[in-house]
Amino acid sequence: MHLCVRRRGARRSCYDVAMRIRLICLLLLAFMVGCDRDNSFPSRPITLVCPWAAGGGTDRVSRQMAMLLEQRLGQPVSVINATGGKGVTGHSRGLTARPDGHTLTMMTFELNTMHWAGLTDLTYQDCIPLVSVNEDYAALMVRSDAMWATIAELEADIQSEPRSLTASGTALGGAWHLALAGWLTSADLEADAVTWVPSAGANPSLQQLISGGVDMVCCSLPEARTMLESDQIRALGVMSPKRAVGFEQVPTFVEQGRDWTLGGWRGLALPRDTPPEVVALLSEHLIAIVSEDSVDGSFAAFMESQKFDHTWRDPEAFKTFLAENDRKLGELLQSDSMKSINTDRFSPMAYPWLLIGMMGITLAGLWIKRNTETQHDDDESAANPSVPVRGFANAGAVIAAIVAYVCLAEQFGFLVVVSGLLLALLVRFGTHWMTSVIITAVTVPAVYILFATLLRVPLP
Amino acid sequence: MIAAGIESVLQWDVIAVIAIAAIYGIAIGAIPGLTATMAVALMVPLTFYLDDVQAIAAIVTTVTCSIFAGDLPTTLVRIPGTPASAAYADDAFALTRAGRHVDALKICLWFSVLGGLFGTLVLAVAAPPLASLATRFTSFEYFWLYLLGLSCAVIVSPGSRLKGALALLMGLLLSTVGLGTDFSTPRMTFGFDQLITGVSFIPAMIGLFGISEVLRSAIRFSDSKRSDPVTRTGSISEGASRGIVALATQRLTALVRSSSIGATIGMLPGAGADIAAWISYAVSKRFARDPSQYGRGSTEGLADATGANNAALGGAWIPALVFGIPGDSVTAIAIGVLMMKNITPGPGIFDAQANPDQASLVASVYVTFVLANLVLIPVGLAAIRAGSLLIRIPRRILLPLIVLFCIIGAYSMSGSYFDVWLMLAMGLVGFGLEAKKVPLGPIVLGLILGGELEHRFLQSLTVSSGPMSFFGSPISVLLGLMCLLLWGWPLLSRVIAKPGKTNP
Repeated sequence: MHLCVRRRGARRSCYDVAMRIRLICLLLLAFMVGCDRDNSFPSRPITLVCPWAAGGGTDRVSRQMAMLLEQRLGQPVSVINATGGKGVTGHSRGLTARPDGHTLTMMTFELNTMHWAGLTDLTYQDCIPLVSVNEDYAALMVRSDAMWATIAELEADIQSEPRSLTASGTALGGAWHLALAGWLTSADLEADAVTWVPSAGANPSLQQLISGGVDMVCCSLPEARTMLESDQIRALGVMSPKRAVGFEQVPTFVEQGRDWTLGGWRGLALPRDTPPEVVALLSEHLIAIVSEDSVDGSFAAFMESQKFDHTWRDPEAFKTFLAENDRKLGELLQSDSMKSINTDRFSPMAYPWLLIGMMGITLAGLWIKRNTETQHDDDESAANPSVPVRGFANAGAVIAAIVAYVCLAEQFGFLVVVSGLLLALLVRFGTHWMTSVIITAVTVPAVYILFATLLRVPLP
Repeated sequence: MIAAGIESVLQWDVIAVIAIAAIYGIAIGAIPGLTATMAVALMVPLTFYLDDVQAIAAIVTTVTCSIFAGDLPTTLVRIPGTPASAAYADDAFALTRAGRHVDALKICLWFSVLGGLFGTLVLAVAAPPLASLATRFTSFEYFWLYLLGLSCAVIVSPGSRLKGALALLMGLLLSTVGLGTDFSTPRMTFGFDQLITGVSFIPAMIGLFGISEVLRSAIRFSDSKRSDPVTRTGSISEGASRGIVALATQRLTALVRSSSIGATIGMLPGAGADIAAWISYAVSKRFARDPSQYGRGSTEGLADATGANNAALGGAWIPALVFGIPGDSVTAIAIGVLMMKNITPGPGIFDAQANPDQASLVASVYVTFVLANLVLIPVGLAAIRAGSLLIRIPRRILLPLIVLFCIIGAYSMSGSYFDVWLMLAMGLVGFGLEAKKVPLGPIVLGLILGGELEHRFLQSLTVSSGPMSFFGSPISVLLGLMCLLLWGWPLLSRVIAKPGKTNP
């Protein structure tokens, strides 16, 4: 009896060793396959990083561009929305990605303001500009029943009673806030003579405008198009050098005697150290896309249908434009009159500290309650069954698998790492190794096809 | 006008689009990490090749189906497929544990359909007057609404209310991480550049619910070759359909109540299906005969909340069509698509005399909603059947697969490895908190609404002239009173109940 148990134990460990060897062999094989990543371009799906949320203007332009680029390159081009941090997240994700051409970024105006505001070290010099695709200028909207007909009338009201009017359009220190402050200083008013009410974007701001929450909204004309066309709001002026295409009835600020223009732009770029031949190939395709005439299905036709401006620049012109734009914005943002737009109205840490305080009170309450109701708690803990060591090892394996994925996926590719991890976990949880191999061989490619090809999720 | 709408929708090509969109919506909704918004955003370039009715049909059907499909992983493995399902994750999963996952899913399906149809009715009947209500919401009203939503989380949390409050505060604190719209410097990022975005709630939600559950199962997991009891006791729909008819007739008023809440919240820009589910769930618990069941597998709470989140979808189109203000992120995309087809939403498109084409298009939105909800029934039943197969897979195979899907889900939202770390960290936190019987739902809600609450509060402070501004309009007085009542209720009820009753 005793012997029998031992023998079975020994056989079991023998089996274990054999299984491990097989597993290691499999992993090694997979590893070698993984290392053989093609160096030609494009060798795998391409990611287009959009720093702004799904559904917004930049997102729509990005997705259209991705579709057209995909038709030319023959590799899937998928858009990811790396949002937040006022654009810092997306720009830095895209421009610090592996410089092999497989990560493009749809850059916006904020690239040239965020480093002046001290949010990041990233500047236009960290990118290789490809093409710029549009330029939308700021415009000033008021409710249809507002009493101002021109910019001058509004300025007079602001002058007579500073800080009594409110404006919205984007986050604190965002593009449209800058546009408003710039206009005010150009009219010899304080940059904060109109109180800026930060908001998440043009849509919520326009809703606040209609509901009477704010007095004016500064955003681009296409963003306000639906409400302009249904006469709920009207535009007092647009901050462009000449009237905007599609909105010819809106006068410019320059026409109204205010020498002030400010526009947002969008353009594609690659990380700094991308190989020149990749840059050349992509530039060629992109120029072909943006310069195509407005026929059905072309980029120009899309931009027209959305009433987005369709001014584009080739890589050289875009580069010069970026440098010039950055210098201009730097001067503006560093001038004394503009300091106010990046000043917090409220202490940023007040609310978190309040929450921490309330958490402390709640914890104290729980502690008191526990001490008064000890009986109850003892029952609960007694009911918990003891956990076997093997259980903790299982949990450890799950955690290890996730950590391993994060550390290895980028190096060896999705298919290899996930296959290895899935196999290891299945075996760890007691599935027969043959079954595990079959499950892995079926699921992983299926998952890859489902996500990367059908659903356009960029997998490593 | 409706006839024209029906005519334009009942074409073979449109119906084909609806069928494909339904399957696509189910697939995306059922995968944690992919939201309904993403499903629609992915479709936008394709809508270029569709005509306007087809494009609308595709969007409406995708969203309807994906919001229901979010309930599938919620019920089967306790990972909310979309944030709208988080409110009742515990109830749905408790039913699965009791072997009643098919019942739970059928409730989700039928009440989703009923809620969706009710939302459509509201949209069709009352769009213009309701839309003007929605545009009256200034930052003050939003502040009260968000506060109300957050209070609901504490009310609905099963067990100790203090622990619910603790969980909510943790969620709120997490929501302050990063660079918000109201400040010029990032907060509490502790030197991590990736945290400037804040704690993204999709990976956090997958971690809190999914990974913590996987860890718990893994620890309880014994390497016996038999699968766990859940799969064995799974009674395949013994009279489930009859049970649902009974539940629906019995809860008719509740259905109307929760769908109205859903449609009303859905039409407010910035508040969507997720908040609708929470508030409806809380109201449901408040009126319930046996509130102690909530959070432990209450079919009533499940039915009410799942109906509300689908009703919210129709509501979101109200301000979108009437004013061109999107009610949620999906209708924001829909407006973009409509404009691509040279249709500008606004009061004008309801005028059948001036714009017969556009008015019939509006009608076709209603018809599509009805059709989408009807298509959801067979597709949903098929999905439930497929999902029930999933749960029969032995745990030793299922757990590794769930881990795989959690990783992909967390990663795919924004293609960031940091989000996978975040998921793991939140999984460990969730595991620890569950061991201490702290509910996880309020953390997710705090994370979703916390930033909005602070933002609207600061907006209100910026424009306010004094504390009384917070009660400046009838709507804000109403919402404010509801908040105060909600907080004061336990005290109040004790005062009222005191005479005649001994201390329980």
